Amino acid sequence: MSASKISCYSLPDLHNTTNDALPNYLTSLKFTQSHSSSNIRLAIGYAAVLISAATFYFDWTLGFEKTKYWTGAAVAVYFALNGAFTWWYLLGDEGLVFEGTREGRKLKLLTHTKPHTPTYFLRAQYTASPSKNSAPPTYQDLKLEIPYTRFFTADGHFVAKPFQQWLASAVPIVGDADPNNVVEEIGRGSDEGAETVKASALEAVMSGMMEQAGGMTDRASGGKRRKKA
Amino acid sequence: MFSSLGNLQPRQLAAQVLNFALVLSTAFMLWKGLSVFTNSSSPIVVVLSGSMEPAFQRGDLLFLWNRGQETQVGEIVVYNVRGKDIPIVHRVIRRFGGGSAPLQLLTKGDNNAADDTELYARGQSYLDRSKDVIGSVVGYVPFVGYVTILLSEYPWLKTAMLVFMALTVVLQRE
Repeated sequence: MSASKISCYSLPDLHNTTNDALPNYLTSLKFTQSHSSSNIRLAIGYAAVLISAATFYFDWTLGFEKTKYWTGAAVAVYFALNGAFTWWYLLGDEGLVFEGTREGRKLKLLTHTKPHTPTYFLRAQYTASPSKNSAPPTYQDLKLEIPYTRFFTADGHFVAKPFQQWLASAVPIVGDADPNNVVEEIGRGSDEGAETVKASALEAVMSGMMEQAGGMTDRASGGKRRKKA
Repeated sequence: MFSSLGNLQPRQLAAQVLNFALVLSTAFMLWKGLSVFTNSSSPIVVVLSGSMEPAFQRGDLLFLWNRGQETQVGEIVVYNVRGKDIPIVHRVIRRFGGGSAPLQLLTKGDNNAADDTELYARGQSYLDRSKDVIGSVVGYVPFVGYVTILLSEYPWLKTAMLVFMALTVVLQRE
């Protein structure tokens, strides 16, 4: 269960909280997370910022006339770098929340939102389980969606169990890693809570029945029993 | 407000800071790009005084072009007085030289009684087109430059604006 509370009406909060929970769950299932996409984006971004800072420094100290041509070149390189990396990002990695491998199989999870729609959209790309014949495993592309109401409480707490159950049941490679969470119908809270409710209801019915039975044969100890119940 | 920053992984924090750094550096590079394109060290200037009224008022934003070396009488130029960093926007009233000889200009503000000989540095009686002039005015937007005047008269506004922008960009995760 998440300790912090968010506003359940705020789509960015719902989306970010869910996205933050994803890598934690998957790394606990022994998926090795690959940060190469983030690292490349950060490297190219900071390289562009460094070029800009160097241009600023030389222009500040040496003046416009002396540095004109270098500045022109730097501006061209800066926008070429930024443009290239934005285009590459939009092409394949927009909305990437997790990329990793487990037992030689790859998994890539991307999310997006539609304005004012309280639904979590997930796109899962993964290597299918090895087939019986010796053909190489295919790469699957699955598009999923689930309303946030299935794993957020009304007062804004994220509940991990139904989310994990949904992910394991809907994405086969996660299900292979976490078979306990592959269910037909995802729960509405922790499993322990449901069982306790069922058990105590049963107990109340049984003790009620025993009281009725006891009351007919043993009036003297009825009072004692009632006190106990 | 800052607790959301504490919950971020190092890469996510680096990404948020990068967003802000990119805002600043893109703005700067666009400015520098315009500067190189117009060949002017300051392609956009703000009118600081009323010496060109009624053509330009204090606070107008002017767009400069510095690739036309044959400045004519009647053009409005922006120049820096030698030794000072204040841009002055006045009209050319006389020209000397030009062609193979270096072009020299005398300027005067429309709203001034006398020409600019008093404004030039000691011993200087004309402007050198290639050295002193930042560019000639090719367009303007009225009143928009007042923000720049405010920022230079109240320097704490600059810091306040930058801090506000930084907080907005770094804390936003939408």
